[in-house]
Formats: sequence, structure tokens, C-alpha cells
Amino acid sequence: MEQIVFALLNGVIYGLLLFMVSAGLTLIFGMMGVLNFSHASFYMVGAYLAYTLQPLTGFWAAIVLAPLLVAGLGICVERFVLRRVHAFGHAHELLVTFGLSVVIAEVIKMFYGNFPVDYAVPSGLNFSAFALGGMEYPFYRLFMGGVALVMFAALYLMLTRTRVGIVVRAAIYRPRMVEALGHNVPLVFMSIFGIGAFLAGLAGAIAGAFYTTNPNMALELGVVVFVVVVVGGLGSMEGAMLASIVIGVMNSLAVGVNVSLADVLGRVGLGDWARDTGGVLSLQLSSLAATLPFFLMLLVLLVRPSGLLGEKE
Amino acid sequence: MIRKLSAVVAVLILLLALPALLSEALLNASVQMLIAALFATSFALLCGQAGMLSFGHAAYFGLGAFATVHAMNAFGGDGLLPTPLLPLAGAAVGLISGLGAGYFSTQRTGTYFAMITLALAELLHALAPHLKGVFGGEAGVSAFRMPAWGIGFGSTTEVYYLVLGWTVLCIALLWGLTLTPFGRLALGLRENAHRLKFLGYNTHALGTFVFALSAGFAGVAGALQALNIEAANYVVLETQVSTAVLLNTFIGGAKVFFGPAIGAAAMSFFGYVSSDLTRSWLLYQGVIFMLVMMYLPRGIVGEIVARLRGEAGPLRPLPLLARAVGIAVASAGFVAAIELLQRFFSTDYKAARQAGGWPPVEFAGHLWAPFAPLTWVVPVGLTLAGLGLVAIVNRREARRQEARA
Repeated sequence: MEQIVFALLNGVIYGLLLFMVSAGLTLIFGMMGVLNFSHASFYMVGAYLAYTLQPLTGFWAAIVLAPLLVAGLGICVERFVLRRVHAFGHAHELLVTFGLSVVIAEVIKMFYGNFPVDYAVPSGLNFSAFALGGMEYPFYRLFMGGVALVMFAALYLMLTRTRVGIVVRAAIYRPRMVEALGHNVPLVFMSIFGIGAFLAGLAGAIAGAFYTTNPNMALELGVVVFVVVVVGGLGSMEGAMLASIVIGVMNSLAVGVNVSLADVLGRVGLGDWARDTGGVLSLQLSSLAATLPFFLMLLVLLVRPSGLLGEKE
Repeated sequence: MIRKLSAVVAVLILLLALPALLSEALLNASVQMLIAALFATSFALLCGQAGMLSFGHAAYFGLGAFATVHAMNAFGGDGLLPTPLLPLAGAAVGLISGLGAGYFSTQRTGTYFAMITLALAELLHALAPHLKGVFGGEAGVSAFRMPAWGIGFGSTTEVYYLVLGWTVLCIALLWGLTLTPFGRLALGLRENAHRLKFLGYNTHALGTFVFALSAGFAGVAGALQALNIEAANYVVLETQVSTAVLLNTFIGGAKVFFGPAIGAAAMSFFGYVSSDLTRSWLLYQGVIFMLVMMYLPRGIVGEIVARLRGEAGPLRPLPLLARAVGIAVASAGFVAAIELLQRFFSTDYKAARQAGGWPPVEFAGHLWAPFAPLTWVVPVGLTLAGLGLVAIVNRREARRQEARA
């Protein structure tokens, strides 16, 4: 029972983290119509910058400064790279951000080496929040979830309750009209790009300390985030939230389940045959946890191609 | 047309004569270049001609490679087919898996399509290590090329001719495909899928078939790779393989037929040459790709073709030369900066620092100290000087064009 509670909690927090990255991605997609392939690289850069700054400035300053620097990087990317390529079409924008993700990964490898760095949770935060049935729950996980929730509340309020938010939403919906009304739309786009990068950088700075910080983290998370966005429906913030939580919970529950297809087939008397056949049939569900999001995505594409909450194309 | 044909014949003669001209190592590199060229051309059928951007083409390349290795090991090592026909196994598996994957991924277009192909490839990559029977785990699966048709297939030259034969055949088939009504429909899929649908074509089936054909030819490339190294490891399913073919294709130019092949051959040649000299080759490849995307959206070969056709006005040698000099100087500076940084941040340097102090590193025949101003002034200065030259030439050219208009 405790294990299930813990797994659920872990899953929700991992989902919130996924949402922190996919929120920026969805926001940028809704705004510019381009999927920013290098978005997960911003997450990685956030983690590495926080790791670098931590000895100099301390943990708290590092997790504030690193996302700000990442936001600056994002703004530069929008201003000097994407805006230039915009005229060539969406495919080129996707490709150039893809190239950027390759370059960022290689630069990280050049400076930090092609292995994980020891970016760890500071000892002051490394204690257990509560214990349940003899198992302790790390406080840092709750901290990650809390930061994510605060960020969304802030983002949500900004988009729905402020004047800036109205302009942003209008610029996403009808950029030409907003420009005609005298608003600086390129500036709006640039700031949204910066905010998206900030969120990804913050997620990286905080999560990098808990999970591993290595040059492959961008790709590993990036693929899951893309799955989240496709499952939720491109451009839909609520869809991204739902899909993030579903995938997060599914992942962390699957890790604890040692059931294979052979066991299931054993119920109908085909267990021995399945075990003899081997291959996919005898694989444990726990070792397949990493592949589950992809299966979910294929299922969603078959049943509801526009994503859970996406609008019909 | 005559000029085109004679160019193709000249290249073919050169390729046939290569084993007599090159050393063993270079011939091996040529085999790699041919395989990369075929892979890129098959990829371009999908993303250049039909406009479907795939981020996971390594999957079909890898499946082709594994299919071939298993075909080689079939019947106690006698092989399912005689060695020269083994790529057919790769083609078949690529085609079938492409039909399945294509059915799913072509449900959606554009960005969604790209994400689905990426996810499918990652799915396979995540599954592969668990399926030891098929993918052989960490060690991979190895096999031997059996003699067939009176040929031993032991020497590099024999392998080269085998790979050359298949590459030329497949590229010729792909070229022929662009001339058929099916090839024109694929082009229509890229330009205006909606209109094609209104004309009564089944765009989903069309997309699936283009995908399957592209995957089939990628499977042949994978098969040739497996025949060449006599092994397959699940490393061929990694993202890097998909990345490399994508970068190569667009650096060459996805919309001209020979662009991807030339791009891939050139990039894998540079990769081969520089693998001994630098550890940062992938970084350079990424930077070249980004620069091409930003400044030469048609790709290098595409741009050359457009210039030769006179689409950008008459050729003027002097500004072209000045730009070339500027780019050469800037890249020399950039490469020097990257190489120095790479050396100062390497683990070797950390080990050297254990002895105390900040020892200089060796690069391009000189010793460079990390805190000497000259170490950084030279590369940065070269880069800026080169870029400045290009900027000046560009501005003058723009002014000229304006004056003419």
C-alpha cells in the first residue's frame, strides 16, 4: 500500500516536472507554429549552469541565475536564429532547432566530458519529509513538485489575469491584428520564447540535482516531452498537463510491477509456451517502463489522432 | 541532358577505377561513403521529395543491418541467400517495417509526423537491449561473408565492388522512381497534400508507400553496412545515426536529387579524415548544418545548382573569391578556438594539472598557454576578421544590386 502511495506521488511529481518543460514547448508551438527541438536542451543547459554556479554562488542563487541565463540564451536563439530562418518555412525552423540541439549537446560534452557530473542535492535539503510504513520520503521531491506548481500558478495568472497576458493570448491568436493595434508582436514572441526557456532551465536546475546530469539528459527527456505534447495535443496547455501526469504516473507505477506477458498468458494456460518463445513475451513490465509512453502515444494516435485535448485538425 | 549523362558516366568510371588508385584504408572509407550516400538518398525520397521530415530513420537502417546478419547466419552459417543477394533481406525487412511504421506515422503530417518517427525509433532503441535473441545484447550479432559465385568476398576490393554495385543500382532505381507518376505524386504530397486529396488520391496510402520504399532502401544501406563490418550491434539504432543522415541530407540539399548523396559522401569523408585529428567532429557537423540552414536554405549542392542555372544572377568571380577567403579565415579561427577549448577542458588536461600549474597544450605545431593573451587573441581575431570580410562583401553586393534595381 505504502509503495503504491509513494509510486503515485513520485509519478505526479515527475509528471509536474515533465509539464514544466512541455509547458514552454506548447506555449512556443501555439505562438510560432514551430516545435522547438532544442527545448529539452535548454533543460540540460539549466542543469549544467546550476551545477557550475553552485560552488560560486550557493544553491539558491544558482537555481535562480541558471534559468535566467537560459532565458537569455533562448531570447538570443529566437532573435538571431529563428527569426532569420522564419522566412524559409516551418520545416526549416524545426531543422535549425534540431541542429541547435546537436550543437548544444556537443558543446556540453566538450566542456564537461561525456559522462555524468556529480550535481547533487545540497545537504541542507537532503532530509526526509515524512515516513510512511517505515519508508522515508525525500523532501526534495516535494520541493520539486512545489516549485513546479508555483510556476504554473504564476504562468496561469499572468496569462489570464494581466494585461500582458491578454496581449500574449491575442498575439498567439491573431498576430497581424495585434500588430495593427500598435503592439510590438516580435517583442511578445521573443519574451514568450524567453519564458519558455526559463521554465525549462528552472526544471533542469532543480531536477538535475535529483536525477542525473549528463549530456544525454536532453535527448532522454526530450523524447518523453515530445510524446507528452503529441498525446496531449499540440498547442493545448491543459492537454500537456494531463498527458504529463498520466505519463509520469504510468512510468513510476510500471517500474514496480514485475509482470510479463507470459504471466498474463499463464492465466489462460499459455504461460509455458510464452516463456519458451521468449522475446517480447517474457519481458518484465518493469524493464519496459521506458517504452510505455511510446505505446501510449501509438494508442492515442490510433484512437484519437489529434491528442487527448487537442483540437481537430 | 548529354552533359548530365556524361558527368554520371565519368563519375561511374572513376568509382570503378578507385580500388586501383587508393590504399586499403581509403578504400574502406570509400565503402563507408557509398553506404552513407545510399542511406541519405533513400532518406531524401521521404523528406526531400515527399516532404515528410523523419527523425528516426536509423530504425530501418538498423533493422536492415540485423536482418542481413541473421540471413548470413541462417542454415548454420550457409546463409539464406548467396552473399551478393543478401541486401535483399535488408530491403525486405526495411520495406515491411516501413509499411507498419509508415501506416502509423503518416496518420499525421508535419511536426506530428516528425515526432512519431522519432518516438518509433526511440521505442525500438529502448526495446533492442532487452531482446537478446534478435539484437544480441551488448555484444551484438556477428556473421561471416561466405564465398559465392566464385568470388571469395574476403578482400576490401571485392566488398567495395559489391557495395558499389548495390549503391549504384539503388540510386538508379530511386532516380527512376522520381520520373514515374508515383514519384510525381510524392512531389505533390510535399507541395499540396490537400489538393491531392481533393483530386481523389488516397494520400495516406501514398504516404505509407513512400515511407515504406524509403525504409526499404535504407534497409539496403544497413545491409551493406552489416556485410562490410560482418556484424551488427544495437548501436546502429541510436539517435546519432538518424541525426547524421538528416544533417548530411540537408547540408547537401534535400531537394536536388544528388545533393544528399554528395553531402553524405563528403561529410563522412571529412568525418573519416578528422576522426584522428579532432574529437569535436560532431560539433563542427552541427555548426555547418546550422549555418547551411540559416544562410543556404537550399543546401550546398542545391545552391551550386541554382547558381549554375543562373538563378541568382550572373556569376561574379571576385566577390565569390573574397567570400571564400573570408569563410576560410573565419573557420580557421573558429576551429582553432574550439580545439584549444577542447584541449583545455579534456580529462587529459585535468590529469596534467595534477602535477601543478597550468601547462600549455600543443595545437597546430605550437604550444599555447591557457592564460596567455595570444592564445585567445589569435583564434578570435581570425574568426572576426573572416566574418568581417564576408560582411563587407555582402554589404557591397547588396548595394550593387540595389543600384541596378
